[in-house]
Amino acid sequence: MTDFLLENSWIIPIYSLVGALLTLPWSLGIIRKTGPRPAAYLNIVMTLVAFVHSSIIFKLIWTRPAQQFIFHWLQVADLDLVLSIELSPVSFGAMELVTGISLLVQIYALGYMEKDWSLARFFALMGFFEAALVGLALSDSLLLSYCLLEALTLSTYLLVGFWYAQPLVVTAARDAFLTKRVGDIVLLMGIVALSNYGEGLNFSELDTWVEGHQLDPTVAALLGLALIAGPIGKCAQFPLNLWLDEAMEGPNPAGIMRNSIVVSAGAYVLIKLEPATTLSPISADALIIIGTVTAIGTSLMAIAQIDIKRALSHSSSAYLGLVFIAVGLRQVDIAFLLLFTHAIAKALLFMSAGSVILTSNNQNVTEMGGLWSRMPATGMSFVVGSAGLIGFAPLGMFWTYQRWFSGSWDVDWWLLLLVMFVNALSAINLTRLFRVIFMGEPQIKTRRAPEVPWQMAVPMVALTVVTLITTFTPIKWPLWLSPNTPLSLEQPELINQYAIPLLIVSGALGCVIGLTIRVRQAWARSSNIAVRFVQDLLAYDFYIEKLYEVTVIAAVSGLSKLTSWVDRYVVDGVVNLVSLATIFSSNALKYNVSGQSQFYLATIVIGVGLLLWSMLHGQWSIVTNYWSSIM
Amino acid sequence: MLSALILIPFLAAAIVGLTPLKGTICRNIALVTAVTTLGINIVLGFQFDFQHPGWQFAQDVPWIEWIGLNYHLGIDGLSFPLLLLNSLLTLIAIISTSQGIQRPRLYYAMLLLLSGGAAGAFLAQDLLLFFLFYELEIVPLYFLIAIWGGAKKGYAAMKFLLYTALSGILVLASFLGLVWLTGESTFDYQTLREHTLPLGSQLFLLAPLLIGVFIKIPIFPFHTWLPDAHVEASTPISVLLAGVLLKLGTYALLRFGVGLFLEGWVYLAPWLAVLASISALYGASCAIAQTDMKKVVAYSSIAHMAYILLAASASTRLSMTAAVFQMVSHGLISAFLFLLVGMVYKKTGSRDVNYLRGLLNPERGLPVTGGMMILGVMASSGLPGMVGFISEFLVFRGSIAIFPIPTLLCMVGTGLTAVYFLLVINKVFFGRLTVGLPKIPPVKWKEHAPAFVLLLLIFAFGLKPDWVTHWSEVQAIALLTGG
Repeated sequence: MTDFLLENSWIIPIYSLVGALLTLPWSLGIIRKTGPRPAAYLNIVMTLVAFVHSSIIFKLIWTRPAQQFIFHWLQVADLDLVLSIELSPVSFGAMELVTGISLLVQIYALGYMEKDWSLARFFALMGFFEAALVGLALSDSLLLSYCLLEALTLSTYLLVGFWYAQPLVVTAARDAFLTKRVGDIVLLMGIVALSNYGEGLNFSELDTWVEGHQLDPTVAALLGLALIAGPIGKCAQFPLNLWLDEAMEGPNPAGIMRNSIVVSAGAYVLIKLEPATTLSPISADALIIIGTVTAIGTSLMAIAQIDIKRALSHSSSAYLGLVFIAVGLRQVDIAFLLLFTHAIAKALLFMSAGSVILTSNNQNVTEMGGLWSRMPATGMSFVVGSAGLIGFAPLGMFWTYQRWFSGSWDVDWWLLLLVMFVNALSAINLTRLFRVIFMGEPQIKTRRAPEVPWQMAVPMVALTVVTLITTFTPIKWPLWLSPNTPLSLEQPELINQYAIPLLIVSGALGCVIGLTIRVRQAWARSSNIAVRFVQDLLAYDFYIEKLYEVTVIAAVSGLSKLTSWVDRYVVDGVVNLVSLATIFSSNALKYNVSGQSQFYLATIVIGVGLLLWSMLHGQWSIVTNYWSSIM
Repeated sequence: MLSALILIPFLAAAIVGLTPLKGTICRNIALVTAVTTLGINIVLGFQFDFQHPGWQFAQDVPWIEWIGLNYHLGIDGLSFPLLLLNSLLTLIAIISTSQGIQRPRLYYAMLLLLSGGAAGAFLAQDLLLFFLFYELEIVPLYFLIAIWGGAKKGYAAMKFLLYTALSGILVLASFLGLVWLTGESTFDYQTLREHTLPLGSQLFLLAPLLIGVFIKIPIFPFHTWLPDAHVEASTPISVLLAGVLLKLGTYALLRFGVGLFLEGWVYLAPWLAVLASISALYGASCAIAQTDMKKVVAYSSIAHMAYILLAASASTRLSMTAAVFQMVSHGLISAFLFLLVGMVYKKTGSRDVNYLRGLLNPERGLPVTGGMMILGVMASSGLPGMVGFISEFLVFRGSIAIFPIPTLLCMVGTGLTAVYFLLVINKVFFGRLTVGLPKIPPVKWKEHAPAFVLLLLIFAFGLKPDWVTHWSEVQAIALLTGG
């Protein structure tokens, strides 16, 4: 039985896909009698099956070495496209995370989307989404990963655009798709080039190829940059970071997945690609620079947001920036740890935010307040999620930082400062949010606020417990961690003695600042010009969107208008001119048809005369040369 | 057996056109004819040996001997996929024609003539015979646009006629020159292929041929007839035009351009690759600014057909196979998109992206059409799992080693595909339903049947691309080995 399950573990992504397909009768409106609920139940069951199956395999292969399964997809001419999957503790660990959170999210969605008339369509998309994520966890081939990343791009587009009648949603969905697509196309360029240079597109083959490659440094640098472009888009890193913030217009359950799992999926691919990013020092440096810029920028953006989901989503970009830095420094273990802790804590925070949104019908935090006593489970989840994220001992992120700065990794002072900065700003942001949402006087929209229905409360509380428990997961199951440096509870070494206290202080400082700053109210803004300027600068994401509008978007639309004009009036204009000239000249020539033989004779005489003249004056060679040149 | 593929449509066209039958009977005859030819093609597919390069099921009958014209037919891996595509899309075009079409006898006769003519061109092994069919299919298409077209049908049809007639003359000039220079007395393809002319004369003959087929494909700057023709043509005609008739150009490009003038081709290839990338970017860039949905699809056709030129100019083993694959892929996807745009037009009476909004509305809009349109758009912009991705991937993978910069530029064009199509989707299907839009009649499942078939194929070939590549692989590579 277990062997059978192991052999057929490639089927796990198929479960979700089948779930998505099973909803079609409801989402297409063929079955109307039952309402859309059965579609949702079917999907939840399929996810449960996937979760159980992957859990069984996870226990099985825990002690075994990684196993690859290879599938020859297409053999044509001299090209052999191979897709392969890997059964390893890491891939199944990732799969557990995906299916587990997806299961909770889908149950949560039952409550959150209760009143939505196209619940079946939502679950169909979620199923598709989950299938792509699970597949990504299993994939061991760059090509397959690319395909699944594209599937994620599509499903993100459809999920963000779920409420397609709202104008903000329309632009958000478009931007999400196109931004990610930019990254994907550049990644595809990299893949096409790599497939041309390299041995094969499997990650293991890439690793061996990278070690012995003979590429020109410029080409290697470009290739390395192309390969990281896909993850940049997927993980919402600068300069492709704005889609995640806009995507918060979509339904919240999808937002939970997006902020915790999808961004991690991009980073997962990046980690798998890590050897290839060392093709040239430039790509590794690019990772570090991009990660740093994003971490600083989005941390700042987050504290000025008044939309609860946007404030949290900017912070996702910031943490993924740290992951990028870790990958750039080749500290893959840390990258995995960061991803894992961030994914769970962020999922919990988003569940809590979703509950607040559902109850108050509002995403604007300036119109909230006083929910702590009214929504205890939601408030508790927010606190636990925040604590898990800001390095609060002894929760998840604390252990991650502890491991990072314990001396087993080569870290520099700037990295410590950066992490302190991100941690402090994250603490400010979360404390500020907690204060305006749960503390203070209730406002109109939060006055009558009951706790959420059980479909939402149960997964939320469950995830709260999970967040607390998983603190110890990396100790019990150090899946991805290099065996020689197990996560230990030993005293940190002397050189990095101050790192951990400093980080804790930074978190505490952030909390204190978050508690004391004046929070922005809906009806009152500071009259100080400088404060207002900084607030606006951060709240509008450093005006990056405006910058894109006047540069990239204006360029593309201007160019398209220009080509279209040229097409209409120049290229087609010449064609029409020729036809008009023909019509006019023939119209003019028809007056030659005079019926007078003198006129015809005169024409013939002039023509023959010209020929004779050229013969007599030695110009005949022009005519003969012309003809012989053609022949 | 191969003659049947030409004769049955022609015969049916004669019956439909010349006897006083009622409209529904004409339609049924046309349907039966299309099903029969499709059936014959499928049977041929089963009997065909794809591992064998060269002609199969050949028929060779001298026709007019003193000018060297032979009725010489045959299929190989290059023409078979296109024949199959032709018969499939003909059937789909007939099914998607509205029941109450005006002058049904003439319409179906012309449609069958068109289909038979295209089949003949793909089957012909004789240069002159190819030319005859190549010209023959222009006439019915002219009438199909000029009679059943939109507001500016006269202009569009005349433009199409003049352009493609010019294309035919140039192709003929090249063929005549070839026969003259080789000193042969026959137009037989295989015989002519065995001659290798000096490079100068090859270039001299290749140039008119290239301009001729560039008009047909169409490649910038010879493309301006296409958007007009598409916009004015009715939906089934657009399906055939994009799906089959443009492929005549790329077919001629591979069969004659590469097949007969290999050295000249290789000499010109760097320029052709540059032209392909210009055409791809130009088509994509124009598509962004269009406001008529059909024009967007038409310009996207220009962009996607350019990839075939890129692949052909790279002339690697992989890229040649990919070129044929891209023809099939573009045929399916563009036909699918034209069907859906046609459905929107039929139900709402408009194709204006600035007027239509919110058509995904489940009660009063066109949700299924919209859903399929999203899939079609994704297929066109190369989303994995659908046929557009793998065909374009193979094109790019096959070409990048030879022409890296043009290939990368073409990939930028692929990226732009998502831009222009997403703008259409966002404007037409997302948002609130247009205020004042007349009540949209519901779409019956039956009406979507042709689109479903195409969608199924788009997915099937996207997931199992070897079903297409193994048809053409051997033959496409054989083209590169010279005479």
